[in-house]
Amino acid sequence: MWSAILPILQTIVFPGFLFLIAVSFLYEWLDRKIYAWMQFRAGPVLAGPVGILQPLADFVKLMGKEDITPAYADRRIFGAVPIMMVALIFTFWAVVPVTGSAGLVSFRGDVVFALVSMTFFCMLVFLGGFSSADRFSLLGAERAVLQLLGFEIPLMLSLTGVCIHTGSLSLSGIVSWQAENGWTLLGPQAIGFIIFLVAAQAELERIPFDIPEAEQEIVAGWLTEYSGRKLALIRLAKDMELVFVSGLAVALFLGGPVGPSPAGLEWLVYPAYFLIKLALVVAILAFIRGLFARARIDQMVSFGLRYLVPISLAQVAATILWRLA
Amino acid sequence: MGIIDWAFRKSPWILHFNTGSCNGCDIEIFATLTPKYDVERLGALLKGSPRHADILVVSGPVTRQASGRILRIYEQMPDPKKVVAVGTCCISGGVFSNGGKGPCYNVYPGLDSLVPVDAYVPGCPPKPEAILDGISKVAKKAGVGCK
Ligand code: SF4
Repeated sequence: MWSAILPILQTIVFPGFLFLIAVSFLYEWLDRKIYAWMQFRAGPVLAGPVGILQPLADFVKLMGKEDITPAYADRRIFGAVPIMMVALIFTFWAVVPVTGSAGLVSFRGDVVFALVSMTFFCMLVFLGGFSSADRFSLLGAERAVLQLLGFEIPLMLSLTGVCIHTGSLSLSGIVSWQAENGWTLLGPQAIGFIIFLVAAQAELERIPFDIPEAEQEIVAGWLTEYSGRKLALIRLAKDMELVFVSGLAVALFLGGPVGPSPAGLEWLVYPAYFLIKLALVVAILAFIRGLFARARIDQMVSFGLRYLVPISLAQVAATILWRLA
Repeated sequence: MGIIDWAFRKSPWILHFNTGSCNGCDIEIFATLTPKYDVERLGALLKGSPRHADILVVSGPVTRQASGRILRIYEQMPDPKKVVAVGTCCISGGVFSNGGKGPCYNVYPGLDSLVPVDAYVPGCPPKPEAILDGISKVAKKAGVGCK
């Protein structure tokens, strides 16, 4: 009986859907607070203690607002995109290790599986912008796909270095390799980590790569026509994607949730390690967001292809030589 | 007070529209976003798209040329929505009201002759504190129950 209920509870409560939603609200708040702190502002303070309920307030408010579908939009795709985005991240969250070296599901090649999610997300962005039948949305959608060209190859190459280094194509293999070898991955793969963070920033459409929704140029980019419930779901999906990508970075470069712990307390200590490391990655991403100004789309693509690709190729070559030696 | 009303009060997103202001009011509105005043404390974000916004903040005299656009932007916003008129020009026509004898030939006698206004922030230009006060008062009124 218990063994039948446990997987369902794991999927729905912890470390599945509800945990993911709670964590993504928490880290959106953290991101906004750090961003505000870097600009000498206070950030949200009134919703709950130190404003911690602000993302929840935003979500509930958007849920309660009128939901407008433009007259010329492709209704079915326009309405399906937000739901599909949330479903996509829920699905891919299952491979991220939270409570141990393996996620809810773990199989050989789940690193590639996790990478595919980013391309899928970008395709959904394109569909959402394309089906809105609005010139700003269309421009934003176009830019999102162009941006994908710029950051996808360096992202994959940065993960290739890790996979060759550890000799494993599964997240659980990479996490347990790091646990066995004393968490020494970040030293030799530091360049890969930096490239992963830069590419993640582009994937998450945050400053300096928020080109697909550049507010001063194209209103709100591909999001322009979304309102009410659909916008709430899209914002939730974007927050969850932030947690998902940071969780990947934690598992791949920072050793995942596994660490020294008193015997028998792993179920409590490992998620705590995970949340602390996640906060670290989110803080780095928030720092990048606060420090830079937006790049142009051509600058972004040429930066990706001209600098990030050769650097990550060199990293992969060095890793291969190290493996052979 | 339900959770939805609470959320509406804690998250007023702003859209700023300039109907022909001299930029005095605009500078003061943007001052509310700066570190000293920081409207994000109230949970407010400045949004670019009318579809995302809850509060329309209008500055400047409503000229005939801008009147069509302001109506369109107002109609593009999802319900429930609020409007704040910032500056004397926006409230009554101000210096363009021909010495109180009625507005100039190209200016409407105030924003409320076009769209319903929820808060008036007088001044030429009003202080950022006053604008913050207007926004927070409108946010307090917000909620599904009181459209
Ligand atoms: S109220 Fe004063 S500052 Fe504001 S737009 Fe009119 S003239 Fe300019």
